[in-house]
Amino acid sequence: MRQQLIKVRPTKIELIKLRRRLALAKRIQKIVKDRLSILTVEFMQVAREAVEAKRKLLADFSEAYKSLSIAAGYHGYIVLEKELVASETTLEIAAGLRSIVGARIPSFELREPELLTLKYNLSDTSSWLDQAAQLFRECLEACIELAELERSLELLGEEIKRTKRIVNALEYLTIPSLQDTIKYLNMKFEERDREEKSRLKRVKVLLEQR
Amino acid sequence: MTNPIPYERMLQECLVGELRVLNAHLPRQQKPLSDLLHEEYPHVACNDGSAHLFKKKELAYLASLIHTDEHEALLLPMLIEINPGQDEMTIICRGKVEEKVISRILDMPITPRQHRVIIYKRQLALLRKTLKTTTQYLFSPKILVQDTKEVHLPK
Repeated sequence: MRQQLIKVRPTKIELIKLRRRLALAKRIQKIVKDRLSILTVEFMQVAREAVEAKRKLLADFSEAYKSLSIAAGYHGYIVLEKELVASETTLEIAAGLRSIVGARIPSFELREPELLTLKYNLSDTSSWLDQAAQLFRECLEACIELAELERSLELLGEEIKRTKRIVNALEYLTIPSLQDTIKYLNMKFEERDREEKSRLKRVKVLLEQR
Repeated sequence: MTNPIPYERMLQECLVGELRVLNAHLPRQQKPLSDLLHEEYPHVACNDGSAHLFKKKELAYLASLIHTDEHEALLLPMLIEINPGQDEMTIICRGKVEEKVISRILDMPITPRQHRVIIYKRQLALLRKTLKTTTQYLFSPKILVQDTKEVHLPK
């Protein structure tokens, strides 16, 4: 594809400036390309982890509900509800941001897991309920992890799209147009040299004829 | 005719801005692991004014890798330096503790050169998978002071 030439005066000083601009554009391209490659590595990593976390979450929930239904069958719903209402607790999640080469992604962590220790009456309940509680705690942690991963995936995807646009603009528009303009100016100077030479030759012939 | 000066300035600003964005998250000061382990919300302040939160799980994992006496010497977050245009990255290691930690995570012996350990993308993925919040990327500012050998005077 032929690039649009940058409108400049065909002078040597302009050529120097254009070469400087080209060197600068190439440097920016290097940085942005590296950034894109890091973002892609992170994106792939997060995607793999998200798939794994989702699979684990589904398996955990399935196990947890199985355990809960066994516990409900053993104790009966009324007793179970009474015990569980007493063990209600507030969860605390530490939320922050971390940056991956300019993309700010969230970071969640469940705090004070010891608060999630079994608060119901252990003497009146069976180990089935303990097992269900333990499995649901794991589910909770998996939910938080999955939330972080999925949001990270979205944000990294958006950042990759944005960076790719910059890379493409530099690779297919800015740098080729600068290169074409430099080439055009070089050709223009060569043409000027040739003209100069032929003019001198002509002058020499005319002088000889006299 | 377009004025070339703003165009050139725009490119230069783009380069500086890009580096500023990429390095905005760098910590003002690294903190030792021993201090972070005792904080309720372990974090460091970043150059852009934000806070970088560490995961307690990761800190506990790091603490388990090294001896208690060495906690003081391990400064976090560890910095992974990216040199634009090169395939390898470098981890900045100030002491033996960092080397020990990286060696254990990557499960291979490492040889630092000038306080830097060279790693490749595969190892980087492994390191980042294990240490998500305790490592950070640093784009080398060397690109800004690169000589302008590419710019020659026309013949």
